[in-house]
Order: sequence, then C-alpha cells, then structure tokens
Amino acid sequence: MIPRERRDVVVLGGGPAGLAAALAASESGSDVLVVEREERLGGILKQCVHDGFGLVRFGEQLAGPEYARRYIDLVEGRRVAVSLETFVHSVRREAPAAARRAAAADGDPGFFVLTCVNRDRGVFELEARALVLATGCRERTDRQVFIHGDRPAGVLTAGLAQHLVNIEGLLPGRRAVILGSGDIGLIMARRLTLEGMEVEGVYELKSEPSGLSRNLRQCLEDFGIPLHLSTTVVEVHGKRRVEAVTVAAVDQRGQVLPGTERRVACDTLVLSVGLIPENEIAESLGLSLDPATKGPRVDQAGESQAEGVFVCGNALHVNDLADYVSESGEAAGRAAAAFAARNGAPAARGRLVPVKAGPGFLYAVPQFVDRGRPGKAVLYFRSNATLREGARFAARAIGPDGAPAATLLEKRYAALRPPEMERVEIDVALVPVDAAAVSLELERKEGLRG
Amino acid sequence: MSLSKLRAGIAKRTGGDAGNFGALDVEVREEFSSVVLEGRVPDWRLKVELGWFAAGFGYKGVVNDLEVEGIEEERLAPSFPAGDRPLEGRSFDVAIIGGGVVGCAIARELAKWKVSAVLLEKEEDVAAHTSSRNDGMIHDGFAARPGTRKAAYNVRGNRLWEPLAGELRIDFSRPGSLVVFGSSAAKAAYPIMAARAKENGVDGWEFWSRKRLLAEEPNVTDGQHGAFFLPSAGIVSPYRATVALAESAAANGVEFSLGTCALGLEKEGGRITRVLTNRGDFRAAVVVNAAGNWSDAVAGMAGDRFFSLHQRRGVEMILDANAGRHLNHIMAMPSLLTVNRKTKGGGLVKTVEGNVLVGPTAAEAPGRENYATTAAELRELEKHLRLNKKLSPSMVITYFAGVRACTYEEDFIVERSERVPNLVHAAGIQSPGLASAPAVAEDVVRLALEALAATKRVSRNAAFVAARRAAPELRRLPFAERAALIAKNPAYGRIVCRCEEVSEGEIRDALRSPLPAASLDAVKRRARPGMGRCHGGFCTPRVMEIVADELGIPLDEVTKKGPGSRIACGQTKAGAEGGRQ
Ligand SMILES: Cc1cc2nc3c(=O)[nH]c(=O)nc-3n(C[C@H](O)[C@H](O)[C@H](O)COP(=O)(O)OP(=O)(O)OC[C@H]3O[C@@H](n4cnc5c(N)ncnc54)[C@H](O)[C@@H]3O)c2cc1C
Ligand SMILES: Cc1cc2nc3c(=O)[nH]c(=O)nc-3n(C[C@H](O)[C@H](O)[C@H](O)COP(=O)(O)OP(=O)(O)OC[C@H]3O[C@@H](n4cnc5c(N)ncnc54)[C@H](O)[C@@H]3O)c2cc1C
Repeated sequence: MIPRERRDVVVLGGGPAGLAAALAASESGSDVLVVEREERLGGILKQCVHDGFGLVRFGEQLAGPEYARRYIDLVEGRRVAVSLETFVHSVRREAPAAARRAAAADGDPGFFVLTCVNRDRGVFELEARALVLATGCRERTDRQVFIHGDRPAGVLTAGLAQHLVNIEGLLPGRRAVILGSGDIGLIMARRLTLEGMEVEGVYELKSEPSGLSRNLRQCLEDFGIPLHLSTTVVEVHGKRRVEAVTVAAVDQRGQVLPGTERRVACDTLVLSVGLIPENEIAESLGLSLDPATKGPRVDQAGESQAEGVFVCGNALHVNDLADYVSESGEAAGRAAAAFAARNGAPAARGRLVPVKAGPGFLYAVPQFVDRGRPGKAVLYFRSNATLREGARFAARAIGPDGAPAATLLEKRYAALRPPEMERVEIDVALVPVDAAAVSLELERKEGLRG
Repeated sequence: MSLSKLRAGIAKRTGGDAGNFGALDVEVREEFSSVVLEGRVPDWRLKVELGWFAAGFGYKGVVNDLEVEGIEEERLAPSFPAGDRPLEGRSFDVAIIGGGVVGCAIARELAKWKVSAVLLEKEEDVAAHTSSRNDGMIHDGFAARPGTRKAAYNVRGNRLWEPLAGELRIDFSRPGSLVVFGSSAAKAAYPIMAARAKENGVDGWEFWSRKRLLAEEPNVTDGQHGAFFLPSAGIVSPYRATVALAESAAANGVEFSLGTCALGLEKEGGRITRVLTNRGDFRAAVVVNAAGNWSDAVAGMAGDRFFSLHQRRGVEMILDANAGRHLNHIMAMPSLLTVNRKTKGGGLVKTVEGNVLVGPTAAEAPGRENYATTAAELRELEKHLRLNKKLSPSMVITYFAGVRACTYEEDFIVERSERVPNLVHAAGIQSPGLASAPAVAEDVVRLALEALAATKRVSRNAAFVAARRAAPELRRLPFAERAALIAKNPAYGRIVCRCEEVSEGEIRDALRSPLPAASLDAVKRRARPGMGRCHGGFCTPRVMEIVADELGIPLDEVTKKGPGSRIACGQTKAGAEGGRQ
C-alpha cells in the first residue's frame, strides 16, 4: 500500500503564484500543502537578483529573492505545510470511497490523488479536494526556434545563464551574443556585462523589441549594448565550444534576406526566445489549452473547466510582473479553499460566460466569467501590436440576441505595447444573467478620431 | 583491358559537356588490385560520381584521391590534447580502434575469449559519432541489394539483436516496417518486392490490403493502396545499445582507453608491432580497424589503403513523445524508387522512448564529422510527415545529423587485411551498420583469433558474464520496487530531470558505471537527463553539481563532451557565495 496523506488543498509549485495561493487558502481556513520540486521556495524569483519587483504590491522596489521572502515568511508564519524536492509523478481523480460515498452528496466530484516521489518518503500519495496548479513556465530552446549549425558547448537559455551566474556563481563565457529581446535576455545582457563579460549585442527577429521599455533603457541603453531589430542568428559555429555565430537580417515574415549574413565572434549564445507555461499536469487532467496563452482556460478565480482544478501565475499565461502573479494566486487560493470547504456538495458554480477578445488583442485572461462569483473580476490582456498613438478599450456584455446588452468598462490608454500586460476590473454584477459573452474591444486612436 | 575502358569512361565523364573535352586532368592507375584516382575536379559531386563509376570495374576497391577545388583534405587528429601516457610501453593481444557500435560489439564478443584487449576511442565517450546519430532501426534486410555483404550481415544481425538486447538489458522491440503503396502501380510491384525479400533471406513479409493497413495503422494518410509489411524490423536506442555493449565488455575485462586517438601503426616485417597514440605507444599482436568515418585513414596507417570513404549525410528530426501514440509501425517512403537507391528513402520510426524520428535524408557532402544541420534539410524531411495524418512540424523538439561511412563499392568491408596479416577491418560500415553490428562482430572476432593464433593459443573465457548489470531505471519500476530502492538509497528519490523523470541516484550510477560517464553528454547517453522538452534548461546546473561531486572537480570544469567544451568558464566576481547570499 502506498501511504496517503489527506489535505483540503494541494498547491503545485512554490513560486510567487503558489505561495500567494497557499497563503490565501490557508487564511480562508483550508488545510493546505505546497508541493515544490526544487530545494527551496521562491520559484524563478530565487535567481532574479535584480530590482523591479513589488512596486504594485508593496509600493517599493524589491529584488526577486526579497519579494519571495516576504511571502515565504507569511506562509511559514501560518505554518503552511510544504513538501520540498518532491516530484509529482501523476495526478488522477478518484471517486469518493465506498464508505464515504454513502455520506457523499450527489454529483460529488471526488478527490485528486497525486502520486509523488521524494527522498524521505519514497513513493507516497496526496489526496486533496482542490488542486492549484502554480507550476510556472519553461523557456523555449534553440531547437524550438530552429537554430542550425554545430552543437558545441556555450549555447544556453537566458534562464539557465541566470541560474549559473546568480545561484552557482559561474560565468557562462567571455563574449556573448544574445538572441531575443525578451526581458530575461535584457536583464542578462546587463548582468553579464556587470560580471565582466562582453555582450556583443542583442538580436531580435521582430521589428520591435519584446521586453519592457524600462528594461530596454536600464539594461541596454545605459550600458551601450546595441539592439539589432529584424535580425536573427541563423547558424552556430564551433566543434567543442561556440566560436562564432552567423547573424542575418530578416524580412517582415521572418525570412532571412540573402546576402546580409555576417559572422560574429563569440563563445556564448544566450537565448531569450520566449516562455511556455508548464502544463503537462493540466493536460494529463484533460484540460484543453488556449492556443493564445498556452495555458488552460479559466474563470476569474482561476478555476479551469475541470471542477476543482485552479490555475494561476505563469502556468496560466506568461506575466510581466510578479505582483500580478501573486494577485492571481490569491484569487485561485481563496476559490480553491471555498471549493474544498463544500466538501463535495453540489457545485455552486454559476454559468460560465465566455470572454471574447476581439481583433487587436494578443490574448485576454480569464477566458470565462463565472456569473456565480459576485464582486470584481480582474482581466489581464495584451495588445497584439504597438499602439503608440493610444487606444480605447471597452468591455461589453453581449445579450442572447448578439447585441450589446451592457457596457462594463471603457478605458483610454496613452499607448499600448504587446510586452506590457494590462490589468482592468469589471463588476460581475453588471453582466446580465443570460449574457452570451463578454466582448473586449480595442480601437486605435486613429479609429477614435474617424 | 578494363583499366583502359575505365579511363575512357572517366574522360567522357569529366569533359563531355560544352566542348571542354579533356579539360579535367584525372589520372587512373592500378595499385595492389585496387584502382586509384588522382588529379583535380571542380566539385565534390563529380568526385563521388567518378568513384562510383570506377567501382563498377571489378577491382578490390576504389581509392579516390581526387582533389576538389576549395575543399581541403581532412586530417585525423586527437579531439583534445591528452595530459598523460597511460598506455606507454604496454602490450595487448588485441587493440580495437573505434568505440562506435561496431567497435563495442567487437569488444564484447572478444570478451568471451581469454585475451587481453584494449579499445581506443578518440572522444571522451563511446557512441560519440555515427552510432548515436541514426534511426535506431534494426532493419529487416529487405532494402540492401541482394548478394551484398550488407544484406547478409543485416539479416544475421537482425536475428542476433533480440537475444543480445535481453542480455544487455536494453529495450528492443519489433514494430515491423511498412512500405506503403501510394499507387496501384506500386501495389502491382508486390511480387518483385517479395522476390527480393526472399532472395535476401528476410524473416517474413506480408501483403497488406488497404483495409488491413487502415486497421493496423489508422492514421496513415488517405488514398493508400495497401502496404508491403516486414514484421522482423526492430528498434533499439542506438547510443544505449552501444554504451551497454561497452559496459558489458568492460565488466568482462576489456580495457577502454577514451580520449585516445590512434595516430600511427608501426610495422616490422609486414606486421603491425606497435600502435602509436596521443596517450602512449604500445604493442599489439592484432589490430582491429573499426574507426567508422576514419576507417580508410586507419587502413592507411598500416599501408593497407585499398579503399576510400565518401560521406553520406543524413538528417533526422525528433518529434515530441506525445506524437508516438499516433504511429504503430516503422513507415518507409511510399516509393518503389527508393528500393534501388543507395539508402532507404527515409520515413517514420517510433523510438523505444516513444518519440517519433523523421528521416533520414541522404546527401553526398564532404565532412567526416560535420553535424551542422540546415533549414533546407529539415524542409526536405517534412514530406515524411505526410505519411501520417496526425503528425505536424509543430511537434519537432530537436533535430540532428549523422554521417555514413561509405565505400565506393557501397558495401561493408569485413576481412583480414590481404597485406597486413595481423590487421582486421570492419570498415565502410554504413547503413544498416547498427542492425548488422552483432554479426559483423562475430566474424571480426573469428578473424582476429585466427590472426592471433600465429602467436598465441586462445581459449574461451569461462568467467564471461553475458548479463549486463544494468542500473535501475526508476520511472519504469512498479511503485513498490521504487519505494524500496529509495529507502535503501534516498538519492533515487530526488528527481533531477523532471521532463524525463531521472533521479540523482541514476545520474550517480551513470558516473560509476563499468564505463563511467565523465561529461554531460555521456551522462545523457546513459541516464537521459536533459533529453526532454526543456533540453536541460532546468536540470543542467544540478547535473553539473553531481558530475563535479563524483569526479572531484570544481563546477566550472564540468564539460559537455570532454576537454575544450566547458559549460562555464570561471567564477563570477562574487562566486557561489555571493549568488547564494
Ligand atoms: C528572469 C526573469 C526576470 C523577471 N523580472 C521581473 C521583474 O523585474 N519584475 C517583476 O515584477 N517580474 C519579473 N519577472 C516575472 C515574475 O517573476 C514571474 O512572472 C513570476 O515569478 C512567476 O511566478 P510563478 O509562481 O507563476 O512561477 P515560478 O516563479 O516559475 O514558480 C513555479 C514553481 O513551481 C515549481 N513547479 C513547477 N512544476 C512543478 C511540479 N509539477 N511539482 C512541483 N513543483 C513544481 C517550480 O519549481 C517553481 O518553483 C521576471 C521573470 C523572469 C523569469
Ligand atoms: C542518419 C543515419 C541514419 C542511420 N540509420 C540506421 C539505422 O536505422 N539502422 C542501422 O542499422 N544503421 C543506420 N545507420 C548506420 C549506422 O549508424 C552506422 O552504420 C553505425 O553506427 C556505424 O558504426 P561504427 O562503429 O562503424 O562507426 P562510429 O559510430 O562512427 O564509430 C567509429 C568510432 O571510431 C572513432 N575513431 C575513429 N578514428 C579513430 C582513431 N584513429 N583512434 C581512436 N578512435 C577513432 C570515432 O571517434 C568513432 O567514435 C544510419 C546512419 C546515419 C548517418
């Protein structure tokens, strides 16, 4: 028999999302356990030693580990159970056991059973009424962006470079080329420079940078590191260690322009070419992923289409600020606690009204509004193009006849950029009970004048 | 007589067009029953075509020394400098040059005899070249041209692999291979295909109607007319197989000298007496040439270069493990033409780990160890995805290239040298070299023992243990066994690579195996950390720590594949303490 431990709520992942979820669930009276596969809590923030966290949450500039520390202290203060260096082998749903079934209400969705592995306990099971997935994201690799050429040492993702430098105290090389202008790449350009490495330049396939404006300024401009837009790395050279890369200009479709190839000597290629939410467990539970966010579809409390499974933080969509991650974790944790407290009683879930993001959006989260959850719903979105001249955002409830039934929110933006996530709130009470959808609209400034 | 015909043919082929007849200066001569081509040609393709042409004249081999403008002749050199000379002054009965699947299979076969043997491999690990860059297919033997050594070794090797895999404790399965009929004309060729399979001695073949095909391979693309099915086609993990052969050989007494490049063979009275390497010179009674893409160069060291190699690149894509459930069999390109080409036309193979391999391509190109891939090669492979409705390019997680070591005769060389009595060749082992390796090894060992008989009476090694002591793979064990192992050794409970579910204990096992890993790539070959979706993004630092700990070296000295390939290059200003705060 595999030993089994029972909890109300199990949170997978001990980063800012999972910590906030655990804290909120615990404060709501749940018996919570956080499962973390690494040796310490804090998630990716452990290695983000730069400032820039907490402005929204705490009104001050904190380094990543400090931001994480505040939550870890709170979680430890409430004696929330934590299981470190624990690997979740698989998750399944189990109907209430025969003995309990008699007492169980009709429609009881049962329990989640997680089969786990760690050093101290070997193989064991966790049983929980509600599950919070706060598993963060992983980086895209050189192969996923189809880099060709040799296979030497010295090609690594920005997150791995950051881990080596900030946690292990190791320099990845002497002279680096950075591919991709995502935030981690920008931050690493600065970090590597400060550590005495030469950063030859940052190369970006797209015609616009994909990192936050403040990072472009503070990490590249302040250090005189050139940013080459519409340029990519096409080939790596070097048998044992990187000796050079070939870079080339690309057209608007990302196709290499012949004749623009140039060889750049370097011993390190750092890739910052995107993050992908970690959703193997969500998928194993049958959740379908939103192709735009690469995360499960959820309502405003982070509850997925599978009852009792809540998702938050970077597992849901790639966030730009840890503060928003904590916010989504809190919402999910609170809702998970409430779900567990019902102990299998019939769902209090209301009707799920789909959120439809119109043209102009990269994506919007959540994908549903649950009419049964009163109060405010927080929506996050990104535009799919840079709107320098500004834009007007509107959220409207659409009636069963397809016509707008209520305006939930209108807001003007001076400018919008895809790398910057926007946050708005709507009042769920304003959504009519029979609404067919919540429609999000984005109009450019030019459109407004016309 | 035939030489003059060959000369005339070559003259035609080198000057026939656009009125510049005779513009190319190609010399042809005969040397020790081989034909030698010398001179200069403008491009690589022509060099290879002349080599093939020359192979049609009944000589023992073609030595193609044509120079190609703008392409430098490659020179064999150690992969990295050696710091010591542990082999200096020693003496062995048999020295095997090359630690690919062929060399390692020979080493293990040799371990069944009471001989002192050493295997030299110039890289930091075995299976560093072609033997880890292929399809992993244990071919049925249908594709090889009837009457060739390839065909015979393949069919024999196919029969040997299953019991061998059992002894080595590695995965082996026989999904069988389908050649799909894309047209009614292709279907009509079934009797010809069956006749060829029969001639090659293939273990079984079947005609599958369209209905049967759809039932057995439901995701096959619409519009097929049935298939030719070869049930004996199998799969292994080629690098695991090679490492397992090496571990078994090492456990049975064969010495492995890694990072050791054979640079010369010293002869006395026509026999090799000493092997010169970058890690010391030693005496050997018999030398086995299993040097893969350098086997012509090694033959040359002994003055026995009666053949030369040309390189045929092959590129493969690997699809995510999720793709594996859409495919039940090995599937080959649905073209009859491929049967007569120099390699099978590529297709889809489900690996023992459940990923799907798409490929390989086949292109003549210089570069014995050129594994750089190009975008055009990947595009070429996308045609294979059309064999199956569920597969798409978005499933690609990685891709790689390999190089086949081909003679111009397009056949294996497995023989005792005609000029040097104590040299045995296992050369030109192109595809299906993996499938054939166990059979090639049997013959090579027989030849080596014959050569050894001149100086020594050899008896069987009664202490030979066939079963390899394989380290446990925890993800495949029932929970109770797994828990018991963790209770004994908690390191088995610490999962380091979460994509492939590999524990610290398994990585330590790889670093302590009978042929211990000493680099990240070598650890990967044995225990798989970093082979999943994230490609080591998360686990690399942890694997580095374990490697450093086991080897007793600082973290920044850990390499990807031996000296010259460090992952890091020194400490940050603050060092580890600053980082950890
Ligand atoms: C390099 C970098 C720089 C950034 N800079 C800033 C900044 O300056 N300011 C800012 O506000 N934000 C910044 N961010 C964004 C912010 O830090 C992240 O959005 C945030 O950390 C995401 O939190 P999370 O909890 O969702 O994920 P993570 O922090 O990634 O945590 C996920 C945790 O889950 C664990 N886990 C995953 N799967 C499992 C499983 N199956 N079982 C058990 N445990 C599991 C992981 O080990 C990890 O600890 C940055 C992000 C990065 C990567
Ligand atoms: C893309 C591709 C797909 C293929 N698919 C299949 C398949 O599905 N099935 C199949 O049966 N076959 C397949 N093959 C063929 C198969 O991979 C090879 O035939 C086989 O691996 C050859 O093994 P080897 O030991 O001869 O060569 P290698 O693996 O190349 O080993 C030779 C070794 O010798 C070492 N060496 C060379 N010179 C020296 C020296 N002087 N001193 C010390 N060491 C030296 C090298 O470093 C190398 O490690 C494929 C090949 C390719 C390229």
